Amino acid sequence: MDRYRRRRLRNTIVMSLSIIATVLGLGWLVLILGSLVFEGVSGMSLAVFTEMTPPPGADGGLLNPIVGSLMLTVLAVLIGTPIGIMAGTYMAEYGKYAKLTVVVRFINDILLSAPSIVVGLFVYEILVAPLGHFSGWAGGVALALIVIPVVLRTTEDMLSLVPKELRESATALGLPRARVIRHVSYRAARAGIITGVLLAIARISGETAPLLFTALNNQFFSTNLNAPISSLPVVIFQFALSPYADWQKLAWIGALIITFAVLALSITARALSASGKSS
Amino acid sequence: MNSIAGITNMAQPPMTTLAGRSSDKTGKPAEKILIRNLDFYYGDNRALKSVNVPLYDRRVSAFIGPSGCGKSTLLRVLNRIYSLYPHQRAEGEVLLDNGNILDPGQDLNLLRARIGMVFQKPTPFPMSIYENVAFGVRLFERLARAEIDERVESALRRAAIWDEVKDKLEANGLSLSGGQQQRLCIARTVALRPEVILLDEPCSALDPISTAKIEELIDELKDDYTIVIVTHNMQQAARVSDYTAFMYLGELVEFDTTGKMFTTPGDRRTQDYITGRFG
Repeated sequence: MDRYRRRRLRNTIVMSLSIIATVLGLGWLVLILGSLVFEGVSGMSLAVFTEMTPPPGADGGLLNPIVGSLMLTVLAVLIGTPIGIMAGTYMAEYGKYAKLTVVVRFINDILLSAPSIVVGLFVYEILVAPLGHFSGWAGGVALALIVIPVVLRTTEDMLSLVPKELRESATALGLPRARVIRHVSYRAARAGIITGVLLAIARISGETAPLLFTALNNQFFSTNLNAPISSLPVVIFQFALSPYADWQKLAWIGALIITFAVLALSITARALSASGKSS
Repeated sequence: MNSIAGITNMAQPPMTTLAGRSSDKTGKPAEKILIRNLDFYYGDNRALKSVNVPLYDRRVSAFIGPSGCGKSTLLRVLNRIYSLYPHQRAEGEVLLDNGNILDPGQDLNLLRARIGMVFQKPTPFPMSIYENVAFGVRLFERLARAEIDERVESALRRAAIWDEVKDKLEANGLSLSGGQQQRLCIARTVALRPEVILLDEPCSALDPISTAKIEELIDELKDDYTIVIVTHNMQQAARVSDYTAFMYLGELVEFDTTGKMFTTPGDRRTQDYITGRFG
């Protein structure tokens, strides 16, 4: 009886601590989202999506950083996704037992957790300094370097989860390896791989540091990737630090846009991976 | 012990010894596959020890024995599926119509088209029922749409699953029940018109009704195919096979007609295993 009561007491204590920890953890998220919505929604209007970033004191929107961010993200995904998926495919399918795989996986893990400002500095050294100017290309490459490890890791993990029986039975039909991968492994791992790409997009859409030294910023509307280009995170950084109330307001709005875009991506990724499991 | 000696001797002048041993009342079947002095290694672990056994054309040969005795390993040698994995190697000879499939020059994809395999766990590909069957066919033959349709239908009929799926050919193969999935896998294999079908415990994940269906199917398929089945279920071996081989600790203890193996086995170990006194 005594033992039973002690066990219940211990259970209650641990349970309470867990609940407190959960509330503390989630509480901050709710506070962040709450303050974003509180500060951002009031300034939200059509003009945000149709007008340029204004000089202090004038009306304006976030059109140029929104377009810039979209272009940089698309560029980064176009560069980073094929590399990540192909490397992940090598590691899970062809080089599963190779030493190279172990080495690549180790280096990739380092890249995965590398501070993004280091990535920015690196791209500055290889693209911006030699060419003599900041550019959208450099920004896209910097973001791609963040996309690659995320996509590589999820691709390798997801392909490794494909049961070996499935691969064996495709092979047993006489399918060459490339077809087994393309028609069976990829199909079975598709939801997971797409999820990885979405998560990588979510990850880069808020990155500021790699863009500071590469894409810089542009207060005018520009779609020229050879020139500096605006992006939401950098504009938020600049506007939030400014002393002007209207710029600060726009920074809040930009933060709100990014957060909800990321939230939408995460929910899509969740839904996809859930549907992948059930089928 | 006589029968082991018989098997071992067979390696030297195979035809005469075999002809002498054959007690099949329907006449002397031809050897489709002849395994000679086969050793198999998982790394340093020798899993098969000088196995010698013939597999007769258009007969069902069953391999029985306790877990880990090497019967599945033997099956995995026959279509060289083990070649997917480094550190696994076979030594000796496996003659398929007198050509040694262990030759380094053997085209593995062609071999696997000639020797189909169905695995223990049903492994439909993540695609429609129709595609599951048509997919492999298209790889080896350039056929018109109508011909493929026909081939799919006849394969599904042969696998006794046509009536259950004819109205939902576009449904995902994974939506079928376990027994149906396994018959779909058999249809997929049959559609390629192989010469030999390997069945690796095809019923161990199925309920008795599905098992009965698959056993009936095996009985029909042996008119056209050489069938090799590995099973844990001795009644199943007795029901479906013409020849039975008993394996123990990587050795082939005894091989004979199923009737003889289950009534008057020559080896003590076979008798003990069949009567359930093993252990």
